[in-house]
Amino acid sequence: MTAATARVAEPGTATVLARAAGAEWVRLRTVRTTWWCLLAAAVATVGIGTLAALDEAEMAAAIGSTAAATVAGEYGTMVGQFALLLVVLLAVTSEYGSGAIAPTLQWTPRRGVLLAARVAVPIAVATAVGVLLALVADVLAKLLAPDLVLSSGELTGSLGGVAAVLVAGGVLTAGLGFLMRSTAAALATVFLLQLVLPALLPAFGELAADVGELLPGTGAVWVLIDALGITAGHATTLLVGWSAAALVAGGWALLRRDAG
Amino acid sequence: MIQVRGLTKTYGARPLAHGSSAVRAVDDLTFDVQPGKVTGFLGPNGAGKSTTMRMVLGLDRPTSGQALVGGRPFATLAEPLRAAGALLDAQAVHPGRSGRDHLRVAARTHGLPARRVDEVIDQVGLGPAARRRVKGYSLGMRQRLGIAGALLGDPAVLLFDEPMNGLDLDGVRWVRRLVRGLADEGRTVLLSSHLMSEMEQTADHLVIIGRGRLIADAPMAEVMRGEHAGRKVVVRTPSTDDLAGALLRRGLQVHPTGDGDLLVEGATAETVGDVALETGVAVHRLAEQQHSLEEIYLDLTGDSVQYRVAGAPEPAGQVRA
Ligand SMILES: Nc1ncnc2c1ncn2[C@@H]1O[C@H](COP(=O)(O)OP(=O)(O)O)[C@@H](O)[C@H]1O
Ligand SMILES: [Mg+2]
Repeated sequence: MTAATARVAEPGTATVLARAAGAEWVRLRTVRTTWWCLLAAAVATVGIGTLAALDEAEMAAAIGSTAAATVAGEYGTMVGQFALLLVVLLAVTSEYGSGAIAPTLQWTPRRGVLLAARVAVPIAVATAVGVLLALVADVLAKLLAPDLVLSSGELTGSLGGVAAVLVAGGVLTAGLGFLMRSTAAALATVFLLQLVLPALLPAFGELAADVGELLPGTGAVWVLIDALGITAGHATTLLVGWSAAALVAGGWALLRRDAG
Repeated sequence: MIQVRGLTKTYGARPLAHGSSAVRAVDDLTFDVQPGKVTGFLGPNGAGKSTTMRMVLGLDRPTSGQALVGGRPFATLAEPLRAAGALLDAQAVHPGRSGRDHLRVAARTHGLPARRVDEVIDQVGLGPAARRRVKGYSLGMRQRLGIAGALLGDPAVLLFDEPMNGLDLDGVRWVRRLVRGLADEGRTVLLSSHLMSEMEQTADHLVIIGRGRLIADAPMAEVMRGEHAGRKVVVRTPSTDDLAGALLRRGLQVHPTGDGDLLVEGATAETVGDVALETGVAVHRLAEQQHSLEEIYLDLTGDSVQYRVAGAPEPAGQVRA
């Protein structure tokens, strides 16, 4: 008889966290949306990245210079990151739409554990896939345009930058998802902060451009394309600061508010 | 065992706002749910049943008070599914995942083997549908999936929120047999409903709430005898005015029925008979009104019904002649 069963020792927090992380992984791979997003990320990163690299190779050749093959992965990630961030976002927000957050919290009621697992696993997956796709784009660009330069040192640095951008963007996205609990609202916000505003604001005068330099997307663009006149410290501050702030706000919402 | 202690939940309370739109969904509730019985958690729509269950499961944070499952707050448990399983809202499942994958996720959080998932799928009779996506499930199938999830960890405590809603007769019978079996195995079963008729054949004990407050916490048999509802007596006498006057002086409520009798509220046949004797009037008929369980329930909760369809007749227990 179950009700009379003696209480056995509870597993420790590490075990509970490992199980929750395993459950997050099963959640990700058992919905089709994840696979569609990853396919979209592959097409965007490899396709657009390679095209951009071929263009660079041509322009470089025209002035008798050479370009790096790693621009393929970097330009590709500028675009493809959004499909990857969508995987992260849906892992957080889809359960608020369907109400499935209630069963989830019945299975993992320690909310700190759920927060850790739900931030770590989808971001790890998105980052691993993103780095792999950037690598594929770089190699493909080199194969199609042998003039492009592909050194292992440059490749490591470039892929490290891709990983940093995806981790920072992922944490920002997850945090906003936990805070807003709405796919549409959080998606729009991530899009504005990460791509649209940093790209548009400089066209609206100096004041607007100054504001743009405070946005997380500016840091991401600096890491990937190096097109903006900011320092490495400034870019790092943006990426770390925004993700940390979003994670604190989102974590607060998950830990303190009603389930939803 | 579930222990609810002074549980209170106010929604929409903003500390700085005055003149508030705050809803006190649950108001200082205290009760225990004992093992080995089916406890019916009964109250009209909006009474606060779901909110109470959500607080027991740590989903909503109480404004004050606390709830314990097996002696501990649910939200602190490392393996909560072994302590309590619950079905709150059968629709709250990711539509794009198969029923089996949904359960596999749950099993993964507790390190349970895939074999256990297949066992509960068989137990609830979901069968081959378990491999299809939840999107295509009927409500009855979703209920079965939710119940499978509740049973997964072989818990000592089970909470079901309106599990019979929308089920056909077969489904209702199945739920009844299931909860009876679970209680007979010694588990604690809390089963909510807004319909007394669903409880008549299912519950051993009733916890009745209205507007978030406890109305009754008693064995089914006791409630059925009407001990918690206002008793009513019908009396026929040729001296209607004299008897009515005497009863009113006793502080009893008296209403004329349409056909010349008097309906006395809050009294037993003995009281009314004694008053008649003292007053010296003849009694031609004296009958304690038989209540159906439904009427007793409506009587108990009548004042606490918040939402009634406009133009709908007043519930039977509330009729004033
Ligand atoms: N999230 C919420 N925000 C505001 N009010 C709520 C919320 N959930 C429930 N309520 C209110 O609390 C009361 C009790 O609701 P509920 O617990 O769902 O009742 P029941 O399950 O008995 O029908 C109702 O007045 C309902 O409108
Ligand atoms: Mg309810």
